[in-house]
Amino acid sequence: MESFGFIIPQKRYPLDRTRAILRKTAWAIFTIIFVIILNFFLFRVLPGDPARAGVRDPRLKKEAIEALQIKFGLDKPVINCFETLNPIKVGSCTVNPMETQFFIYVRNLLQGELGISYHTNRPVAEILAQRLGNTILLIGAGQILSIIIGVVFGIFAAWKARTAIDYGALAVSLMAWSLPTFWLAILLLFWGSAIGLPVAGKATPGMSSMPIFAQWADIAKHMFLPTLTYTIIYMGEYTLIMRSSLMDVLSEDYILTAKAKGLNAVQILRDHALKNAMLPMVTVIAINLGFTVAGAIQIETVFSWPGLGSSVAEAVERRDFPVLQGAFLLIAVTVILANLLADLTYTYLDPRVEVE
Amino acid sequence: MQIKAAESTPVRIDASRFAVFWQSFRKNPAGPVGFWMLVFVIIIAIFAPWLTPYEQSSSASVGVADIYQPPNAEHWLGTDDAGQDVFTNFIYGARISLFVGFFAAFISIVIGGVFGLVAGFFGGRWETFLMRFTDVMLVIPDLPLMVVIVAITKPSIMNIILVIGILGWTTTARVVRSQTLAVKSRKFVLRARAIGAGKRHIVTRHILPLVMPILVVQAVLAISLAILNESALAFIGLGDPSALSWGQMLNYAFGRGAMSAGAWWALVVPGFGIVWVVLALTLLGQGLEQVLNPRLDTHHLMPGRPKVGGQAQGGALPNDVILDVRNISIHYINDGSPPARAVENISFSLRKGELMGLVGESGCGKTTLMLALLKLLPAAGQIVNGNVYYKGKDLTSMNEDEINQIRWSRISIIFQGAMNALNPVRTVGDQIAEVILKHEPNFPKPRLTDRVNELLDLVGIASDHREHFPHQYSGGMRQRAMIAMALACNPDVVIADEPTTALDVMIQAQILQLLNDLRKKLGLSVIFVTHDLGVVAELCDKALVMYGGMTAEYADVDVTYNSPKHPYTQELLKAFPDLTKPKKKLSAIPGYPPRLDSLPPGCRFAPRCPAAFDRCQREEPALHKIESGHFASCHLLEASK
Amino acid sequence: MTIKQFEKFLEVRGLKKYFEAGRPTLFSREKSLIHAVDGVDLNLRRSEIIALVGESGCGKSTLGLLLMGLESPTDGKVIFEDRDITHLNDDQRKDLRRKIQMVFQDPYESLNPTQTIEQILTEPLLVHHIGEHDQERSERVIKAMEDAGLKPADVYLQRYPHELSGGQRQRVVIAAALVLEPEIIIADEPVSMLDVSIRAEVINLLADLRIKREIAVIFITHDLGSVGFFADRVAVMYLGRIVEIGAMLEVLEKPQHPYTKALLSVIPAPNPRLRHERIILQGDPPNPINIPSGCRFHPRCPAAFDMCKLSDPPMMTLTKSHKAACLLISSGK
Repeated sequence: MESFGFIIPQKRYPLDRTRAILRKTAWAIFTIIFVIILNFFLFRVLPGDPARAGVRDPRLKKEAIEALQIKFGLDKPVINCFETLNPIKVGSCTVNPMETQFFIYVRNLLQGELGISYHTNRPVAEILAQRLGNTILLIGAGQILSIIIGVVFGIFAAWKARTAIDYGALAVSLMAWSLPTFWLAILLLFWGSAIGLPVAGKATPGMSSMPIFAQWADIAKHMFLPTLTYTIIYMGEYTLIMRSSLMDVLSEDYILTAKAKGLNAVQILRDHALKNAMLPMVTVIAINLGFTVAGAIQIETVFSWPGLGSSVAEAVERRDFPVLQGAFLLIAVTVILANLLADLTYTYLDPRVEVE
Repeated sequence: MQIKAAESTPVRIDASRFAVFWQSFRKNPAGPVGFWMLVFVIIIAIFAPWLTPYEQSSSASVGVADIYQPPNAEHWLGTDDAGQDVFTNFIYGARISLFVGFFAAFISIVIGGVFGLVAGFFGGRWETFLMRFTDVMLVIPDLPLMVVIVAITKPSIMNIILVIGILGWTTTARVVRSQTLAVKSRKFVLRARAIGAGKRHIVTRHILPLVMPILVVQAVLAISLAILNESALAFIGLGDPSALSWGQMLNYAFGRGAMSAGAWWALVVPGFGIVWVVLALTLLGQGLEQVLNPRLDTHHLMPGRPKVGGQAQGGALPNDVILDVRNISIHYINDGSPPARAVENISFSLRKGELMGLVGESGCGKTTLMLALLKLLPAAGQIVNGNVYYKGKDLTSMNEDEINQIRWSRISIIFQGAMNALNPVRTVGDQIAEVILKHEPNFPKPRLTDRVNELLDLVGIASDHREHFPHQYSGGMRQRAMIAMALACNPDVVIADEPTTALDVMIQAQILQLLNDLRKKLGLSVIFVTHDLGVVAELCDKALVMYGGMTAEYADVDVTYNSPKHPYTQELLKAFPDLTKPKKKLSAIPGYPPRLDSLPPGCRFAPRCPAAFDRCQREEPALHKIESGHFASCHLLEASK
Repeated sequence: MTIKQFEKFLEVRGLKKYFEAGRPTLFSREKSLIHAVDGVDLNLRRSEIIALVGESGCGKSTLGLLLMGLESPTDGKVIFEDRDITHLNDDQRKDLRRKIQMVFQDPYESLNPTQTIEQILTEPLLVHHIGEHDQERSERVIKAMEDAGLKPADVYLQRYPHELSGGQRQRVVIAAALVLEPEIIIADEPVSMLDVSIRAEVINLLADLRIKREIAVIFITHDLGSVGFFADRVAVMYLGRIVEIGAMLEVLEKPQHPYTKALLSVIPAPNPRLRHERIILQGDPPNPINIPSGCRFHPRCPAAFDMCKLSDPPMMTLTKSHKAACLLISSGK
């Protein structure tokens, strides 16, 4: 009720923080479960039924098909009583819930089984495990760089608001924000190949026999263009958000208090404005994680970077549904966990933890 | 104006409202630029058949020579992998990309809008369910999910639109929900309920009109996101092969050797179209956002305007005068409009241990005057005349470093509304310690905590609250903490700017008592800014009554209350309730205080003054000295001399 | 129109409103109650003005919302014209709205910024399907505006709220209440957001309406000083209860409850020659979640004695028109 003007005394806040952390973790787990269920049904219920389509692959031998069907329970009903979710069969329900496709799917998942790639006939989990690291490397480097550059640009734009610095930063950021990721990647690919930078893959073939240090230098070279694309694409948004967040903070009364206390501009920025302005940034970074994956898919495809993103594009091209299903699950779970991490950081940074 | 009978339905489009909107929309160039950029593309898309030299997707004779022709007279932008004219496909591509963008955005906005509105307005279980669902969907990455669904179903244009539209609603739902909640909690909705209006009436007449604008901004952003998503899907190979959107053009070119053929035109041109539209929408969205939710484009760190005028004034001062303000005038300079004369020619002096009340209605310039004393004016404010002497030194001519030595250590300020005046993410004790270290860098660290505890104790806060954050304090405690902070460097002068305004009567009394005790104990000089005549009578030694940026009357409080000379002071006292004469009817001052940007030509009080005569309408009155220490600005005083 | 005489015009009996503080969540089931209004008895006569005074959080605004039916009570009755109005269906409630209207504190917030003054004032008539045609409605609107001091009305009709000053807006809010020709107006701090020189105007307007239209007013305020001259009676609220109620002058001259005495003493007199000793209660306004035992005022009361911790004082009648709830009175000290 807003008719109360007084402050209802707060409970001691360490308790609130623990509760907030527990609550957020619980929601992350719930979301992961939701994604697992969603992932199962997407591939079985949507028209096209790719789970079965794969087993009907003409290239496979009959024994192989049968083995696969048993392994992934494709001979079993989808969930308890419903054969392909058809409610007509409800009456003659005699199936043990432990022997449904869904249960087998979950059991396989818990054992790290994601299926067999139609294309390479290798286990999906094995393929993706290699690639996950590469994607995290790329996204990590790109995110860190774009956040640092965005924050610095944003600080200067806000501090020197309505000057050439501000307008320049705004123009660059709006432009960067409007670029389609894959298109910028293509342009940079053009430029990179013109000046002789490596434009495809993660390493030059044959490098594995070189000393470890040379290998790293080679990877760094290959990473340059993808990371640059990444940084440009996301830097604009971070600049805009940091600027407006800092502008808001700098027009707060407590900044006037800080000024009245005799602090100079640098002290005010450092001690009173930055932390407060970073809080919305953390939220945005968390929300953005989903979008950064979208960027990774496009960038990895253009530069043939062997990550999760390019495996999505490849799977689409080859209609390799087990890989697609596995990649989606892995991407979603990674994003949810990264989001949780960002959320928890926020809880740690802001003393005003809100429980509701 | 003629009285018109009211139309039966009170909803109608009012031209003047649109004009107001357009006026503020134009202020920021981003909006109009984006708007016209978008209009340009839409016109091109509509008139595509008339603008293009070839039939859509026509490649009459495809020979090897026709593929990837560089721009030439026949094909202005060259040809693509199928030997088709890039310019023609580019123009038609606008149709498809825009169609996908608008249609998908429409779906997202409708779903998000309905979810947000229902969750926000009805609350309860619906809200919990919808918002949890939104949160879950918000975390799941969009594009991979779109890829999966489109890959499993079929990449037809309708499928693509549906998938982008259905998965794009989450942000809208959140934004609409919070706007609905904000509107719902506003008092006019409660008033509508009090009138007897039903839910439907409230939603359609009160909530929707205020949610709609937000929805428009969201729609603009949703269109740009949909276009980007469609192009990304097409690029991955999930575009509709029969609908050649810009994304699909890029997919074909990239996938079919444009790179190795060096056919940059086939790659650059479609991408340029996407950038153009997305940039247009982004600019338009920014422009609209600025109109609907105007953010200040100034802040406290922007450099102030240098002082103009006001030569140093000589003249001996009595020894015990600490602060001497002489003929100070402050204007607010806004581009394109005449300066607002916020404070005009105000003088006063403050002696050691003296408590001066600065009284006036809202907007009379009292806060501006106080900020000017320490050169804390906002960027638009400028001291255009006068000086502020602190112990003989002119503060107005100091540079930033010099004034920083005076700020807080000699003259400190207690701001109105301590909730906002304290930094929410630092503990109260930390904020007090900060100012001690700033002005006494050699203060022994081990003594610091004791000193902070001492200060808190002085204002009646137990030292175990030192480590707490401002939001854990009650309103009264925050104001006490602010006072403790103001005293941290043993200043000579404390400016208290409406320190009790938002507080309850009893807490107000506590704070006033505290301030009064402290100034006696510490020998402080205090300027107490308030609109409350009662508080001044209770507390102060002297009173400066301001009206419309000028001194109305300046005298000892006893004189102010018992023999006021300015009609404004007299009328104000009559309007103030007096419990000792409970049956006396209050008399109101007719009219309203002047706006600083449209001041009357003569005396600023003349339009409301019961004793005004001709001269008051024409000529500003000078400040007259009535007796030692009693000044008032009114033409009547001159006549009586 | 003849006014039908009712035995009871407005009577409040044992009214209670508890809010839940903090919903139970996944990890905690505890839930505490805010005792916003905790047993209020009150009687309002036709065309009477009662001032309802108290600190923020004492429940005075909630009491206003309960009387309006904008909140439903946890317990107790509100009898208006011989009928309990706490449990009405939507149609009955809507009819009642015509008779009881409300004026809110913040004139900047209580008008929809997208409506013109004309739309705002016509809205109540349309909601209640009053008036055969536009002409009739327009006449009613103009009459209400003139009664609210917005003259000449046609200057204001096409304006938007942001074009008006605070005082004018509050007049629009009052006019919007008047178009329905109510019998009671509940005014929740109607002047606290206005400048001093304008407050008197709005207060005088409400005082005039009582004479012109025989409207009863419940004037909710934290500032006893501003209502002295026009309220007939004053009720002092503390932590959800009325602790003293009586004829205005009687309470001002002989306050009985220590809380009333303190409230009166901290009102500054507008003259430095009348500076007086003030009874300043220490500590923050009390917390309506944990109501103290015995007399709920005892932790802050300067005159409290042992009994006060144990015994909740009943309302004692002092004179025909003055009651207070304090053990000092009932124990005869």
